[in-house]
Amino acid sequence: MKLIRVNMTDKTIHTEDVPPEYAGLGGRGLSSVIINTEVPPRCDPLGPENKLIFAAGLLSGTTMPNTSRLSIGAKSPLTGGIKESNVGGMIAVAMGRLGIQAIIVEGQAPEGELYLLKIDGNGNASLIPAQEYKGMRTYPLVEKLLATYGKDYAVVCIGPAGEYKMPIASVQASDVDDRPCRAAGRGGMGAVMGAKGLKAILVDRRGKDGNPVADPEAFREAVKNLVQMIKSDPMNAEVMPNLGTAALVAPVNSMGGFPSYNARKGVLDGWENICGERMAEIIKERGGNPTHRGCDQCIIFCSNVYVDKDGKYVTSALEYETIWAMGGMTGITDLDVIARLDNLCDDIGVDTMSAGVAIAVAMDSGYRNFGDAAAAIEMMEEIGKGTEFGRILGGGGVAVGKHFNNPRVPAVKGQTIAAYDPRALLGLGVTFATSPMGADHTAGNVVGAYLTGMLDPLKPEGQVETSRFLQIAIAAYDTLGLCFMASVALLNPEAFEAVSKLIGAKLGQTLGPDEFPFGLGLRVLKAEREFNRRVGFTKEDDRLPRFFYEEPLPPHNTVFVIRDEELDSVFDF
Amino acid sequence: MRVVVKLYGTLGQTFPGYQPSRGIEVNLPEEATVRDLLAHLGLPERAIVIVGGRVLPADAGLQNNAPVSIFQPIGGG
Repeated sequence: MKLIRVNMTDKTIHTEDVPPEYAGLGGRGLSSVIINTEVPPRCDPLGPENKLIFAAGLLSGTTMPNTSRLSIGAKSPLTGGIKESNVGGMIAVAMGRLGIQAIIVEGQAPEGELYLLKIDGNGNASLIPAQEYKGMRTYPLVEKLLATYGKDYAVVCIGPAGEYKMPIASVQASDVDDRPCRAAGRGGMGAVMGAKGLKAILVDRRGKDGNPVADPEAFREAVKNLVQMIKSDPMNAEVMPNLGTAALVAPVNSMGGFPSYNARKGVLDGWENICGERMAEIIKERGGNPTHRGCDQCIIFCSNVYVDKDGKYVTSALEYETIWAMGGMTGITDLDVIARLDNLCDDIGVDTMSAGVAIAVAMDSGYRNFGDAAAAIEMMEEIGKGTEFGRILGGGGVAVGKHFNNPRVPAVKGQTIAAYDPRALLGLGVTFATSPMGADHTAGNVVGAYLTGMLDPLKPEGQVETSRFLQIAIAAYDTLGLCFMASVALLNPEAFEAVSKLIGAKLGQTLGPDEFPFGLGLRVLKAEREFNRRVGFTKEDDRLPRFFYEEPLPPHNTVFVIRDEELDSVFDF
Repeated sequence: MRVVVKLYGTLGQTFPGYQPSRGIEVNLPEEATVRDLLAHLGLPERAIVIVGGRVLPADAGLQNNAPVSIFQPIGGG
């Protein structure tokens, strides 16, 4: 497998074999280890010393399904620490099939210059001036790129928010229908891409067998076994193909942990109007698609295509976290408005969660009322146009809180939370506080332990252990390029053994019992924690904002009660 | 006792004519538990039952007239 290094300062491109120190890594593991090795920790995230890594999963491009995740990593302009944000769609598989493990973007183009990076069917990369695409939103951009270069390309790109270098700017990836609707949202990777002067990357999808497998027979056998496990998981077999991640709206509200009105309540008034069950009904009534594939080589179909009353495309996929940020946090209970806001986020190129919370913090500060749909759309347009207030919103919830002098910002390490209130779902608070990424739900989503009856969300016992276990396992799965839905079906010892065999067959090694997921996951987390330590983060950064400790959340009227020493024990290794 | 049950995920599809706004009214013996309710409805025991914001274990008792929500297990999102 190859690394492609692209220097935006002098426009040179070098291709090299993956060196021994990075061997056996892909996705988040590769991205985080490269950053910790090669990026000066105190560099300007938007300067030439930062590196932007696009790493395909270790298994992306093999026959293993649901390995279409691309990890995008850099020093984050949002958190100031290490960041990995992963995205599905088509590009990671395309890279894997061309034998490309990662693209490393270094240096910086002079201010005002903009480029495309195109990788052809032979794996040859070239930089192409892209002035004509300057300022374009992602939907028209991708349409124009594919009209120009042909339909056989997978694309990742930035919208205007990335060009403005906004700290909540996303990198958008094209899906199976060539729509840039899948996002590496978190941590401002779009801003880093904009700062480099890179508008889009196109990768030819016609590569074949580029990702080598040492023992194809054993690999095939392991894949067969794992496919069975993924397909027989009740969540993946029943819930995800019908409702997608929006299925979580009802149970999280029912547990009183759906942060609403900028985390003033744990249940949203009228959540029944925006829950997954209602969403699936609306999509079906209007002729949309509630069971959409979304990403290459997917066997779960958690995606959907949301359409308007005339059956016209609005967005894909409408997801739980977006429904929460644009609905729960803002008090908007109209799915048509939320779907439009989702489309605006993808088109402008910002993280839906960070944008929704930024809007909610503005509403909480009295700028507009909760539930004001027109105001939310207007604020999104301000981000898209890059107005003065739009740039404050584009800085995320913390920037908006500073602007209005409002301390009620649900953020850790500068990154606002996802759709789980730490006061009612304690384990999520542990993950938000301690993840090297800032408040991140995928890093260790304890909600699964609550919704499989394994753990009581309101009792401190077991929260730290569960968060630790998940953070380690997910760091390992993020390295393989496996999607979150498949990963949560594979969190038991039998699955770990099957995955160990799969990796062993791929690499031509026999993995020891402690190597997957624990050895691999710990290696990744240690690199990330080390980078953050060298940036200057201390244990004081592994804390939730004060109001989570002081302001009881209705309906349970509880606060976050995990002690600091317990938080410090999460990564006591 | 009488409880009103709301079904989520795809569980409603297994009950013809199920209306999400109404739910299902179920009559059970006074001492009935979560396990009894699931058995009565023909739902698997791994289903998640939430009453009053709390996830109840299978042997927990139910209260007369309590609104009950039932979900399929979800491993994350």
